[in-house]
Amino acid sequence: MLNVICGDSMIRIKGLKKDYGKVHALKGIDLTLKGRITAIIGRNGAGKTTLMRILSTQLMPTEGTAEIDGHDVIKDTGWLRKTIVSIPQEASPISVLTPYEQIKLYLIAKGMDARSASERTKRALKVMSMSDAANMPADELSGGMKRKVFVAMALAYNSAITFMDEPTTGLDPISRLEVWSAIKKLNGSVIITTHYMEEAQDLADDVVMVESGKVLEHGSVKDLLSKFNGKIRIESTSRRGAYNVGGLGISYVGVGKADAYLKKGYTARQITLEDLFIVNGVYLES
Amino acid sequence: MNPKFIAAMSWYYGFSTLKRSYSYVIVSLMMPLTILFIVYIISHGAIIEYAVLGGFIIMIASNSLSSAGDAAFMRLQLRIQDLFVDTSITPMDYMLALTISYAAFALPGLAIFAVMGIVLKMFTILNVLLLIAILIMLLVSSSAISFIISSRVKHVRNVWGISAIISTLLTMIPPTFYPYTYLPKIALYILALSPATPAAVLAQGYFGLAPKMLSMLGVLMAEVVIYMVIARYFVRWRES
Repeated sequence: MLNVICGDSMIRIKGLKKDYGKVHALKGIDLTLKGRITAIIGRNGAGKTTLMRILSTQLMPTEGTAEIDGHDVIKDTGWLRKTIVSIPQEASPISVLTPYEQIKLYLIAKGMDARSASERTKRALKVMSMSDAANMPADELSGGMKRKVFVAMALAYNSAITFMDEPTTGLDPISRLEVWSAIKKLNGSVIITTHYMEEAQDLADDVVMVESGKVLEHGSVKDLLSKFNGKIRIESTSRRGAYNVGGLGISYVGVGKADAYLKKGYTARQITLEDLFIVNGVYLES
Repeated sequence: MNPKFIAAMSWYYGFSTLKRSYSYVIVSLMMPLTILFIVYIISHGAIIEYAVLGGFIIMIASNSLSSAGDAAFMRLQLRIQDLFVDTSITPMDYMLALTISYAAFALPGLAIFAVMGIVLKMFTILNVLLLIAILIMLLVSSSAISFIISSRVKHVRNVWGISAIISTLLTMIPPTFYPYTYLPKIALYILALSPATPAAVLAQGYFGLAPKMLSMLGVLMAEVVIYMVIARYFVRWRES
């Protein structure tokens, strides 16, 4: 069995809602995703994981539809489960299994025969520079290596679409860079959720910003940051600024005015996706 | 059904664990061997055959039931079950694979009790075949119960405690280490909710240690089906 990579996949979401009792996790999401790497960003509890789990057929929506390359995530689970790879949030390999065994087992679960699974596993581990760790029980691996096992799974399967829910949460900076590099090696479309803005900025060509179960912004990093063109972020611990976040006063001023603020003791920072989040978050709360 | 997955998972998770984490084997042996020792001392060896037979049953039942902890841990903490949702395997494949894996943990213990049974001249070809059939039904029904429990557990912090309590209740109180005739009928029927009870009653009957009670065969077979159906219903594959 060989899955086929058909270029960038298209995901269409219409009126997607999910309620957990009285909690409205998703409040009507409408989206079309067709980027190579899409990052769904937002705060904890924003609805990222719920959206991801619905798209990867792990969770039933309360209302609305979602299609991946024309296949309904509610009805066409057979096709989707053969096609996609979905790495759950905080997934960790079984401690007694080695990366080789874990990946091979996953490929067999995907329907491959043992020989193909073995060959693909070895190849993926080599591409991920993990051959040396291939036969170590997972509980002897570092956090970054454990996450890389799952990226290697997606690579070995050569999936058309890979979903990764917060692939770098809790990792140290070096491990995060390793996982980013591994994600870039994946074929097909990749959809990740993250609350690390620099991760989205570095990896994604398409960014969806989710807050309180709704999509606030959607576009390329460049497009999303265009509203800050010619501006710089100014921070003050005196809480003086347009936005107060965590005891900091934050303002956005023209680059030309930066010097004046610096002389007054303010701190200047480059604009990142975090600023989009701050601006939207503050608007929501005010 | 994906038999290749069931075989691979059983091999990797079951037999590789034996190889790499032998403390599992020692832990699973401790309880039946300790009870065997106590039974031997208290009865002056009079009911040692019951304890050996009970050793087979408890090895299978306690390993299967305490696997509820593992199954819940893999779902809640490792997220391995979610990983397998997006594959071609069914919940039944997953359950069977884990069931056979846990059976592997019991193998060293079964080997020890088999040696004891040979020394005590307990075995005939017929009663060995019947014992194997009973143990297979016990394995499936106990594993199904462990899946029911694991699917109900919501927090990892409760996983190991609950599975240990259930395992002890459902294996130690039933007549695994003593003649089932010691129990009042009503108590026997209540305890029959645990598959270890009909398994022990049948085994004691077939080995000539107590009167045969064939109605327990129906009870055990019914429990295999009922507990599997309930487990399939409760297993959280695609959540709603």
